[in-house]
Amino acid sequence: MTSRPTATNESHAALSPQALPGAGGRTLRRVMSAGLLHLVLVAVSFTFVLPFVWMVLTSLKTLDEIGLGSWLPGQGGWRWENYARVFEQVPFFRYYINSIFISCWVTFLACFTSSLAAFAFARLDWPGRDQVFLLYLSTMMLPGLVLMIPNYQIMISLGLVDTMAGLVLPAAFTAFGTFLLRQFMLTIPRALDEAAAIDGASTWRIYWDVILPMSRPGLITLAIFTFMGSYHNFFWPLVMLKSQHLYTLPIGLLYFDSSAGQETNLLMAAVAMSVIPMIVVFVVLQKYLVKGIQLGAVKG
Amino acid sequence: MPAFASKSRQLRIAAMFLLPNFLGVVTFVIFPVVFSFVLAFTNWDLRRHNAYRNEPIDFVGFDNFMRLLFESDFVRYLGNTLFLMMGIPFAVGGALVAAMLLSQDTRAGGGRAYLYLLAAGVLIASTALLSAVGLGGSGMVLLLTSVGCGILVLGLGGGVTAYRTLFYMPHFTAGVATFLLWKKLYNPQTGPINTALRPVLDATASATNAAPALVSGARWALLGLAGLAFVWVIGRLRRSWADGDLGGGAACLSATAVGVPVGVASAWSFTAGEAWLLWVLAGLAVAVQGAGVVVRGRELRSAGAMSGVGTALVMGLGVMVLMFVLIGLSAVLESLPAMAAEGLEPPNWLTDYHWAKPSLMIMGLWGAIGSNNMLLYLAALTNVPQELYEAADIDGASRLQRFWHVTWPQLAPTTFFIAVMSTIYGLQGGFEMARTMTEGGPAGATTTLSYFIYLEGFETGRLSFAAATAWVLFLIVLALTLINWTFGNKYVND
Repeated sequence: MTSRPTATNESHAALSPQALPGAGGRTLRRVMSAGLLHLVLVAVSFTFVLPFVWMVLTSLKTLDEIGLGSWLPGQGGWRWENYARVFEQVPFFRYYINSIFISCWVTFLACFTSSLAAFAFARLDWPGRDQVFLLYLSTMMLPGLVLMIPNYQIMISLGLVDTMAGLVLPAAFTAFGTFLLRQFMLTIPRALDEAAAIDGASTWRIYWDVILPMSRPGLITLAIFTFMGSYHNFFWPLVMLKSQHLYTLPIGLLYFDSSAGQETNLLMAAVAMSVIPMIVVFVVLQKYLVKGIQLGAVKG
Repeated sequence: MPAFASKSRQLRIAAMFLLPNFLGVVTFVIFPVVFSFVLAFTNWDLRRHNAYRNEPIDFVGFDNFMRLLFESDFVRYLGNTLFLMMGIPFAVGGALVAAMLLSQDTRAGGGRAYLYLLAAGVLIASTALLSAVGLGGSGMVLLLTSVGCGILVLGLGGGVTAYRTLFYMPHFTAGVATFLLWKKLYNPQTGPINTALRPVLDATASATNAAPALVSGARWALLGLAGLAFVWVIGRLRRSWADGDLGGGAACLSATAVGVPVGVASAWSFTAGEAWLLWVLAGLAVAVQGAGVVVRGRELRSAGAMSGVGTALVMGLGVMVLMFVLIGLSAVLESLPAMAAEGLEPPNWLTDYHWAKPSLMIMGLWGAIGSNNMLLYLAALTNVPQELYEAADIDGASRLQRFWHVTWPQLAPTTFFIAVMSTIYGLQGGFEMARTMTEGGPAGATTTLSYFIYLEGFETGRLSFAAATAWVLFLIVLALTLINWTFGNKYVND
């Protein structure tokens, strides 16, 4: 998989018949077509970005200025204190911490246990391996909804309703992750672990020092999927959580909407505070994210 | 691991690696599946089996399933789910277009200086245009141009990566936050969508009132276009059939698909009066191409009656959707003069029974074009061998032919994967939107199956009934996936 889509296309553009006529005309034509392309790309980006622009501007207005023609704050000025007022009304910072805490635990547990199991499926020979793997595969077909109701009853009997552990545990053991990592591990050359075995490495050492470092791209992919899934998860926290101090960001937002949703400016401030960190994270990590998503779907 | 290790030792070592995950999967997946299956055949209902009332829990056979199919709104909610899923083809098509835009060369060789000049020209022109439209004097002009300007500067500096980030933003942030944002965007009184629509609709109304003849002329033109699309498809099918690329059965199937809108247009009261135009065009096309079939016959025989069915169906269904859109627009124009006479009002979006589902679909489209699907297409596009394009260029293929005969077949495995996954997710979807934006309303218009299961299982407390519904949903998912698989494999391998 090439990481730079433009590279191949540029060499292609040089070959296409339109590019052949005289040098001056070629430059102009190229600039024109690139300019047109930029124009289209800007127009499309514009529609994607516009709601976010409205969100930020609305979060800085007074309530009675919303719905007037202009999106910009008028007489009331730029109300940065709207953001402070969100923190006064709900423990918004707490929601962040909860969401990140839970997502980190889910990601760590999922990556660790899945990589162990994937190693057992991809690298070890044991009786019944293929049958157990088939069982794993077949569970991936099931809609999550089928599992929700019994899982909730299980949580009741384990006493885990309305706890952090109750949010982490059901998400932490995935057949999908095991499958993804197994497929990845199968592409690692066998000669590597055989060489390590000849050097006298234990099975654990082979896992920890050979296979795990080699599986890094697969692990990153799984980590991204798991973290994003857990961070956005809505259904499970919604039914599990009763006490406010455990609310995750989506549940906290929903609660804020039901208690103060009429104050559109405050709600937009809350929404902006949950959306903007995600955009920043994406911009910083996008190299890994994009590759990871593309890889995950190809393998998975 | 040494090959001579004994079986029990092998098993012991494997168990150490497997157990942490296996125990979790058994507890939270495999056991719940069995539990849920048994549950579906009992009468466990939290309203009757709780701390205060303790009636016995019994097996009731297929009672839950019978009640689900015959005494509940299940069919209606399934219809809602499928209706919302009609947005998927548009989302996938949009993702493909976005990916193709992003795979172009944005750097104009070494001519960046020219590009900046061009950008400046475009900015000045757009500012002038915006002021001319009447936004001048307000800060809005400055705002909108500076947003566009900012995007352009980002794009010129960061190239494709910058645009890809912007495209991907709605999908990456999608969730409760963006749903709440759209709920406010859709607000009928204070939302920016209606605030922007009002002047546009007022202008449309006065234009319509001024020239009603123009409107009815446009109506005929749209229907004519729909008819011409039909003509084009039939001609194309006949040619592919004659060249041996397409089997007779497959051609008939595809032709039937484009015939559906013609029938619908004659049955629909808005367009029934004008539908004869469609019939005339369709009849002419069938007659001419039928004569072609009889007189010229075929040059090559196809592999079988159904060979090439995938491509033919994609084309047929695509044109069918296009015809429906054109016919729908002409129906809108039909009733426009009467509505315009009373003044046009923007819709109430989420709170309007008929607009609620389209509203959710529009929002879904916003979030689904720059999605993972786009990234997958982007990766797939870079993997198309350049030799194929070069060969096509040597053969003198047009841009459209290059897409249709090189790009599209090469993308088939990706499209197939996306179609399967979208179907699976689509059938289970709609819960978050329903819970955060509409509460399934108005009058159940946006209640999907997943929201229905949530309501029954976690609000009403009819656990067994909810479990039974979830299993029926699973069966539907399974059936559609199998259909996808059968047709898709055939198509991908074609």
